[in-house]
Amino acid sequence: MEAPDEQLMLAYRDGDAGAFEELYARHKGALFRFVLRSVRERALAEELYQEVWIRVIEARERYERQARFTTWLYTIAHHRLIDHWRKAGLKTVSLNADDDPPPEPAAGPAHDPLRQLEGREQLGRLLRALEALPAAQREAFLLREEAGLSVAEIAAATGADEEAAKSRLRYALKKLREALDDA
Amino acid sequence: MPDQDRDVKVSGSYRALDREEPPRALDEAILAAARRELETRPAPLVAPTGRRHWYVPLAAAAVIVLSVVVTLHVQREQPGPEFDGNVAPAPPAQPAPKAEPAPRVEIQTKRDARKPPPAAPASQAELAKPLAGPAESAAGATSEARRAQPMLERQAVGQAAADAVAKRAEDAETPERTLERIAQLRREGRHKEADEAYAEFRRRHPDYRIPERMLEQVQPR
Repeated sequence: MEAPDEQLMLAYRDGDAGAFEELYARHKGALFRFVLRSVRERALAEELYQEVWIRVIEARERYERQARFTTWLYTIAHHRLIDHWRKAGLKTVSLNADDDPPPEPAAGPAHDPLRQLEGREQLGRLLRALEALPAAQREAFLLREEAGLSVAEIAAATGADEEAAKSRLRYALKKLREALDDA
Repeated sequence: MPDQDRDVKVSGSYRALDREEPPRALDEAILAAARRELETRPAPLVAPTGRRHWYVPLAAAAVIVLSVVVTLHVQREQPGPEFDGNVAPAPPAQPAPKAEPAPRVEIQTKRDARKPPPAAPASQAELAKPLAGPAESAAGATSEARRAQPMLERQAVGQAAADAVAKRAEDAETPERTLERIAQLRREGRHKEADEAYAEFRRRHPDYRIPERMLEQVQPR
């Protein structure tokens, strides 16, 4: 039986490097996709992703078992993204604006998800619809799909109340479903 | 999670998207940073235990403040120089007046306590004076009397200590020394005091044989 994430983090706090390696292996893919699909730029996503883990590492001495490790990890990621967007002055990716206008289509082949998903029209539409979501709704959806967080945990990780988190998730699902049904 | 917050088709389609992973070099860099962290900062000496409650530092501060207050209180309650034997003898303690008018008590300083008897307000009778005017309420006066009570008790204790010191000095005086003191009183013409001292001498030393020459100088006349 696998050790819980929280137990692994406590073991790492107490000096077990192997515990961190196992913890990292469990969460690296989902966290990377969460960051990548939030910022839609691979180089930037890699930088932010690394910084999230560095924050986890630096916080090891203060780690306490108060919530699920996953919620704690994505709370750190959320804050890192907020810091990035504030620093960049990107209004269209504000997490607090549920009614953000869709971002402009990404320019250039490196930013074009359709280039990466050629031949998969439906998935392409889904991906574009995901990018077009307001940041808060996209984040709620990604936290649900990638991190497996519940509505309450999404609310905790993003600092929102549960009603707001639930509302964001429903709007996101509705728009994504519409994008799929358009086919 | 309720069904209204789940969409199987959307979820299935999303999972069919590319499952991007971080590059291996990035993995290695992060894991190396995690190992370095353990090398530079080993496990904490005291592991964080539970939620940090707000009242823990507050309780610690309260304990410190209480300790300081109790220490100061104890130091002030301890008798000071009143025990050094220089205190002038004072009349025995009198009970503080309880009825109207309420007493006003002036706190006597230690310097005052060292003054000679006529000037020193060592007695409780001098410590307790009537109220200056009727404007002051009885409640306030009672409060003042209550605050002054420890001072009065300290005065009585100091007086008793001074008497004890004087008594020990008398006890330590040799018979010869006492006789010389009595003789000195005679020479100074203080016969009443000399008579009292001689009577006290006889009471203390009933079997002492006074030399003839000294007897002429000290015996009552």
